[in-house]
Amino acid sequence: MNNGKMNSKPKSNQASVGAVQCENTTLNLLKVNDFVAKAIRERLPDVLVVNVCSSPGSGKTTLMQETGKRLAGHLNMAVLVGDPETERDAIRMRNVGINALQIVTGGMCHIEAQMIYQALDHIDLTGVDLLFIENVGNLVCPAAFDLGEDVRVTLLATTEGDDKPKKYPRMFLTSELMVISKADLLPYVPFTVENVTQDAREVNPDIEVLTISSTTGEGLDAWCAWLLARVEQKKGVLVA
Amino acid sequence: MHEISLVRNIFRTLEGEFPADINRVRGIYLKAGLLSNVQPILMQNAFVAVLEDEPRYQQTTLYVEVLPILIHCDDCNKTTEVQQYRFICSCGKPSRNVVQGEELLIHKVEFTDE
Repeated sequence: MNNGKMNSKPKSNQASVGAVQCENTTLNLLKVNDFVAKAIRERLPDVLVVNVCSSPGSGKTTLMQETGKRLAGHLNMAVLVGDPETERDAIRMRNVGINALQIVTGGMCHIEAQMIYQALDHIDLTGVDLLFIENVGNLVCPAAFDLGEDVRVTLLATTEGDDKPKKYPRMFLTSELMVISKADLLPYVPFTVENVTQDAREVNPDIEVLTISSTTGEGLDAWCAWLLARVEQKKGVLVA
Repeated sequence: MHEISLVRNIFRTLEGEFPADINRVRGIYLKAGLLSNVQPILMQNAFVAVLEDEPRYQQTTLYVEVLPILIHCDDCNKTTEVQQYRFICSCGKPSRNVVQGEELLIHKVEFTDE
């Protein structure tokens, strides 16, 4: 077994080693992912790509459904949705008329850029202004994988507790927007928007914060306005 | 599961970089920033597990060094280590200019001459 002997060289614990030659190098283990992410950005110059991350059950798919209803007639949106198994989420979205394609990760805890690049060949993006990537529910691993998105949005449900930004710092560090979901449950859970905002901004001073409820509709106008502004910024034209 | 794929990634990266010398690799030195969520003990266990499938690395040792998170403040031009995930410079100004802590790099490879 290895005991992490960082500075012991040359090594002598293996079969007789003669002279040991060292090669100092800088090999990024996520090089392939980052290369493909760049290719995705080049392939979608006119589509705003939003990577939506959260824990399982925070309301990503429901928010996609509500967003689709509200933005219909204003812009064309599509969704690539990742889950370890089943096509349930894509079916839920297609049921409300959203152009959605399921990415089954086969047990994997995150989506990698290569999966998005391949999925782009199987979804019709003609006329699409806004492409959501609904990531696998997980606040850890997806944070490390650039999917070629323009913006990263992290949902945090009030039922999850307001201590999450400090527990999963990289997710919130790499997000442009934190959406506090299930705001209709605020009276019943120990969660304050002030605390979570303060913690999130200690991790990422630039993070924007929106509070929504897909059930009551609270905050959804502000959410849609935020998206429209980003789409217009990317395309350089007014959309709505 | 994630560690297993990272270990495979290490091997594929080295095979791409040193195709002629791959059977002489004896030491792999990894630098993992604290934000990469890589746990050294889990990486070591995954490394041992992957060796079952990839016996050519049986004589290779993996070394994992975890690097703290450093932020640079443009106001006071100082680099500060982030404690408790508070991304705030010692001068009090928030900063998300992470100069160290997100990396996942092979920074040194040792080869035997045999």
